[in-house]
Amino acid sequence: MKTVIRNTTVADKLLFLTLIAASVAGIFFSREAMPQGPDIVITVDGKPQYTLPRDKDRLVSIPGPFGDTVVEIKDGKVRVKEAHCPNRLCEKQGWISRGAIVCLPNHIVITVGGKAGDLPRGIDAVTG
Amino acid sequence: MQLQDKYRIAVLSAYALSLHAFESLLPTPIPWLRLGLANIITLVALVLYGFRTAMTVTLIRVILGSIFMGTFLGPSFMLSFSGGVASTAAMGLAYLTFGNIFGPVGLSLIGALFHNIAQLTLAYFLFIQRVEAVLFIAPVIVLIGTLTGVANGAVSGLLIKKLLQKDGEKIQNDKAD
Amino acid sequence: MKETRHAEQRAAILLAVLLLFAVSCSKSPGVYRKTKPLMDTLVTITVVAGSDKEADAAIEKAFSVIEQFGDKIDFFKDTSELSAINRNAGVNPVKVSPETLGVIERAIYISGISDGAFDPTIGPEIKMWNFYKKIRPSDDAIRNNLSLVNYRNIIVNRDKSTVFLRRKGMLMDLGGIAKGYAADLALADLRQSGIGAGIVAAAGDIRAFGLKPDRTPWNVGIKNPRQKSDADDLMATARLSNKAVSTSGDYERYFMEDGRRYHHILDPKTGYPAGQCRSVTVISDDGIFADGFTTAVFVLGPEKGMKLVRDSGVDAVIVDKDGVIHTTPGIKKMVTFEDGH
Repeated sequence: MKTVIRNTTVADKLLFLTLIAASVAGIFFSREAMPQGPDIVITVDGKPQYTLPRDKDRLVSIPGPFGDTVVEIKDGKVRVKEAHCPNRLCEKQGWISRGAIVCLPNHIVITVGGKAGDLPRGIDAVTG
Repeated sequence: MQLQDKYRIAVLSAYALSLHAFESLLPTPIPWLRLGLANIITLVALVLYGFRTAMTVTLIRVILGSIFMGTFLGPSFMLSFSGGVASTAAMGLAYLTFGNIFGPVGLSLIGALFHNIAQLTLAYFLFIQRVEAVLFIAPVIVLIGTLTGVANGAVSGLLIKKLLQKDGEKIQNDKAD
Repeated sequence: MKETRHAEQRAAILLAVLLLFAVSCSKSPGVYRKTKPLMDTLVTITVVAGSDKEADAAIEKAFSVIEQFGDKIDFFKDTSELSAINRNAGVNPVKVSPETLGVIERAIYISGISDGAFDPTIGPEIKMWNFYKKIRPSDDAIRNNLSLVNYRNIIVNRDKSTVFLRRKGMLMDLGGIAKGYAADLALADLRQSGIGAGIVAAAGDIRAFGLKPDRTPWNVGIKNPRQKSDADDLMATARLSNKAVSTSGDYERYFMEDGRRYHHILDPKTGYPAGQCRSVTVISDDGIFADGFTTAVFVLGPEKGMKLVRDSGVDAVIVDKDGVIHTTPGIKKMVTFEDGH
């Protein structure tokens, strides 16, 4: 271990610390800033396929390269109930009430917030 | 010298491929937690044998690796390819421009960072297309990349030192690029 | 060696500064937002507060205010005050709480100034429609129930705090006005909790007060009544502070049949969906002119509706049935329209 530390330069250490700090800060920000929004949008292959209201409990089955992915909405939260992708990472994320769940192998992205919560455009609410 | 280069590249690529294969056998709870072990080879190649060698090894690893896995030209290949090229290019550039300001750990961190940036960007255009989702997972990926980058860098550093001691022969740095 | 030590000290300071930055930025006067399913829709309350605890407490309190009010005027709940009124139509006056009395009086007021274009006694008509199952009543059924629709038959006794529906079979539905009223109640409650800026959004009924921490007004998007994709979901953005916004649109609850659109905003005089507008958005200082008012303007159509808007001294954006946008002069200062509108 000591050999390793002696082998690292100042720039190395600085870079490391900066990256750690930046990514940790980024995690704080993204959790705070994530919109909650009224809709759950499920995007398949980059195209929004389902826009579902959060207030209705339901199960949605989405076909994909790795079979059917079952998404469950309950009590305003959403989760991937069942997926057949190799990592099952999406299942492991559990219930979310903000942010997103991604199943890369199945090309599925589930976002909470839909349009009303679109942060980049700086909209605080939507009427209509 | 040509023959020696080719020989080196072949051996390095072999190492890189087997590390890559070994790594994919490891069970990971999180897919983003790729250790990137093959990057050790790339980095060692860069420092000891030059940019051209390093890039060649990376390309061979990515292309052959995906052919073996049966995912050639598929989306996972695109991600590996862009990640590998970006990280090797970034490391090469950093090494050539900044010389010894960065040690192997720093270079590995740079490589990891650009690897992740390239992959996130590509994922955005190919699959995700919702900026919020990408921005949401980006910090986590960068954090993991930073940690694995340090580990890889440390190993690379040790390897480089060992190889320099062992060989004792003249190392040719390919400054042609 | 000394050099390395200095460099490392600098790095440590840099790290500390960065971490401090990260921590403080998530705790300084910030914008906090929570959503809860209430009143059969999603209510989102956004507040500017000093800490998440402060925000949470205020928001939860406001949510419970909305929930309690919602229970009182829930058309589908037997135990609500509204149901008691409806059950006793043609029979007895029913004693109600101040909030219920307040929203009913507001409804009567809007009905009056719009000459019945908005009418909360639309209950018997709207009850026959089901927009999810695509069910619509026959022309006869519509005609037969029309006589029950007349806001003048709502008798309110302020002193006794009672409401009486004069004719048997009358049904009051406060859906077109309740969310706005709930938003006003929530707003008052937030102010009482010491919140100085925020937004209460009950579906599309919005009350924005104060300014964001960076001293800019709130940005409220106005939905595009005929959006075709994710990209053009908004037709305009309004920059507001201390305003009430409401929208009535023919795209909220509807179904298509034989190329015709049947939507939930019925004309109280005919019993059929009003066809002159696609959407109406009203921006006013006072919540009274938001909710039920947009319904009234929608039913009245672009000309008569705009006249009512101007006479009432508020601002509006009317998208008529052909997609043409009519606005009051004051809109220009507050609203920016997207390209193509």
